[in-house]
Amino acid sequence: MRWLFPLLILSVFTLAGPLNAKEELVTLPKRDTVQLTIYNSVDLTLVRETRDLTFKKGNNRLQFSWANTLIDPTSVEFKALSNADKLEVLDTSYPAESNQMLIWTVSADEDTTAKVEISYFTSGISWNAEYHGMLSSDESSMHLTAYVSVTNNSGEEYENAKVRLIVGSIHLVEEIAALAGGQRMERMKAAYSKMRAADAAPNKKREIVKEGLSEYYIYSIEGAETIPNGWSKRLESFVQDGVALRTVYTWDPSKYGNALAKLLVFKNDEAHKLGREPLPAGIVRLFRDAGSNRLSFVGQVYTDYIPKNDEVKVNAGFDPEVQLKMKRTSFKKDNLTFRWSGNRQYIVGWDTVEDFEIEIKNFRKRAVDFEVNVVMNGDFDFDSKTKSTKIDFRTQRFTLTMEAGGSTKVTYNVRTRYGQNIKNK
Amino acid sequence: MNKRLILTLAGAALVASAIGISQPEPAQARIKLATLPDKEAVVVRFDHPNQVLVEEERTISLQKGVNTVDFSWAGTNIDKGSIVFRAVNANSKVEILSTSYPPGEAALTWSIASPDARSEKFRLSYLMANIQRETDYRAIVSNDEKTLTFKHYFKIRNWSGGHFDSADFITRDGKTFEKALENGEAKRVLVNKWDKVKLTKEYVYDTQRQYEGKVLTDYVLKNTKEMGLGAIPLEYGKVRIYQDDGKGTTAFTGEDWGTFTPIGDDMRLNIGIAQDIKVEFKRMVNDVENRRGNVYDRDIEDEYEIKNFKDTEATLILTLRVDGEWEMQKDSSGFESYERIDNETIKFKVKCPAKGEPVKLKFHYKQLNIW
Repeated sequence: MRWLFPLLILSVFTLAGPLNAKEELVTLPKRDTVQLTIYNSVDLTLVRETRDLTFKKGNNRLQFSWANTLIDPTSVEFKALSNADKLEVLDTSYPAESNQMLIWTVSADEDTTAKVEISYFTSGISWNAEYHGMLSSDESSMHLTAYVSVTNNSGEEYENAKVRLIVGSIHLVEEIAALAGGQRMERMKAAYSKMRAADAAPNKKREIVKEGLSEYYIYSIEGAETIPNGWSKRLESFVQDGVALRTVYTWDPSKYGNALAKLLVFKNDEAHKLGREPLPAGIVRLFRDAGSNRLSFVGQVYTDYIPKNDEVKVNAGFDPEVQLKMKRTSFKKDNLTFRWSGNRQYIVGWDTVEDFEIEIKNFRKRAVDFEVNVVMNGDFDFDSKTKSTKIDFRTQRFTLTMEAGGSTKVTYNVRTRYGQNIKNK
Repeated sequence: MNKRLILTLAGAALVASAIGISQPEPAQARIKLATLPDKEAVVVRFDHPNQVLVEEERTISLQKGVNTVDFSWAGTNIDKGSIVFRAVNANSKVEILSTSYPPGEAALTWSIASPDARSEKFRLSYLMANIQRETDYRAIVSNDEKTLTFKHYFKIRNWSGGHFDSADFITRDGKTFEKALENGEAKRVLVNKWDKVKLTKEYVYDTQRQYEGKVLTDYVLKNTKEMGLGAIPLEYGKVRIYQDDGKGTTAFTGEDWGTFTPIGDDMRLNIGIAQDIKVEFKRMVNDVENRRGNVYDRDIEDEYEIKNFKDTEATLILTLRVDGEWEMQKDSSGFESYERIDNETIKFKVKCPAKGEPVKLKFHYKQLNIW
């Protein structure tokens, strides 16, 4: 029993008849094809469906209703794909008693059939990406599987739909869910069995074809999908073996707190056997080969959209085998500047001179890379015997490699000027 | 067999139309198998600091074509997004086509394509919440307090809703033990034991750990190979300390929290107050000097009078702290050695003669440029 909408009812009244003449229900045409274009940056899906309709000569009334769905009424459009020259939409009316229905009056020059396309926006269908990376036991490379999952909470079931996914951020001035009247889907008792029965999948994995369009990417899923209301479905988007991976132990209190973070880094580029398309936002989960195809969980991160050639960093957290300790070994004040006020003098400027020591130890059985970011405040001079690079006006970075079992100490000195000692640059 | 983790299997065979009309979409017949494949080779890994990964194997009979396998975990705390499902044989011709998630259920279904009818072994991995872990230690100190036997226990408590008939539990440092674990059950297992670990006993006066000016007794274990440890970083956990009483039994002498101790670092365990060593603190000088407008220095002389009422000499370690810019003065005296740990912290070693003979530590310093 189908009680899902939208429903298309075609009724015909004669040319000669008065406008309120008794309507004759002619047919209940079923959908022939459905195409879903799902956006992930906003809650929006463009639905295009085609139906074969039979028109009588004269005015035909087409009733389209969408009770209990999340369709935006302002977006519904009608287009004849065949015999368009014989058909004309005279008007569209939205009956006062129902805000989930519209009626098109279509005039036909003669008795005819036509393929028509009805398109509209709906909310409640979403998609997201997920990534599983299986790291080699030495963490130097990974086998990356990208997935896309489509979730249908639209209130409507789309059977055997062609699915296209839009990667990128589009601009909307109003939310589709609000335009749909904010209806919530109480109808979450989705057809468990229907889902399976409709899953007339071919005996192979679906290809997902990716192509660019303006600022966006379109992922087209091969074949047709049926996703009952309330269900999600996950498909493989691509698989790539041998993606090179770098481990960088990073000290950056502004991002990772007062702890050394183990970051696993790869790039979405050709050198990493990726870079064919941008990677949509999603959770990246990394596992390590713990021997004999068993897994060990390494870490996970939600990553934003990754353009081609951009970098992904997964924080694998704290590693007890690699340590960093930081301490301030000395603190002095210098260049005290006074000003007389009456017969008393007051301090109006001074410098502080501080020495810091960073101690690094690597207990791992292989060399590891470090990135240590130190942040200063105010008007300062930074000095160290160890080479560092300026990251921004107040951040210096030490980039170090430490051999297996090695340890080292890096020292640096910071002079900071306060009050009237601050230089006028 | 865990009843809450149900893996059901439905084979889908393509049914040709009896009247010979070809259909645009093949209809699928679903055959529910009566047998539920048992969990095999369950591994529970604790190598991530705050996640628990469970792996299990299941042998599934597949039919030629597309098979649907249902996996549900009602009542257990499995992280759905973390589920990884794959054939154990990496070269298997079996393909997982898609994963579907029904609404409002702790369940999923896999569509699996098989080129023929076969039995295939799959491995299922997922993160499971509410399996707690805890580390604790037992230290049995020799009668002369020079060495100890250090036992490392790993305790797991299972609130996950699932239960394990038999599983290999793997700790962060790679130790494996096989156990059964019911839901709600806890188990504690000895995972490491180190004998003849060298021990340093210290009497400590620390202004940050101070308890009414009393001297604390610490055992210090250096996590290095030379001292008999150094194999793994030592996890945070409670250490209960017993001492060999020389009569074949042991006496409980105290307990403390052992902090996380990387290789090379010290684990410092307080076993209580050293009643026989007393410290009396007096500030002898507290003068302002070198005044320049509103800026001045402060000259401070602190005196610590220490009495050791034991029959033997002892060493006291005093850890003292001074904020800001300061310099120790050369006439400080009464110590064996000192070390400035960082700008704020200084550590003195003082030899304390036996039988209550007093010794004075004079700590003379200037705090500079104060306003």
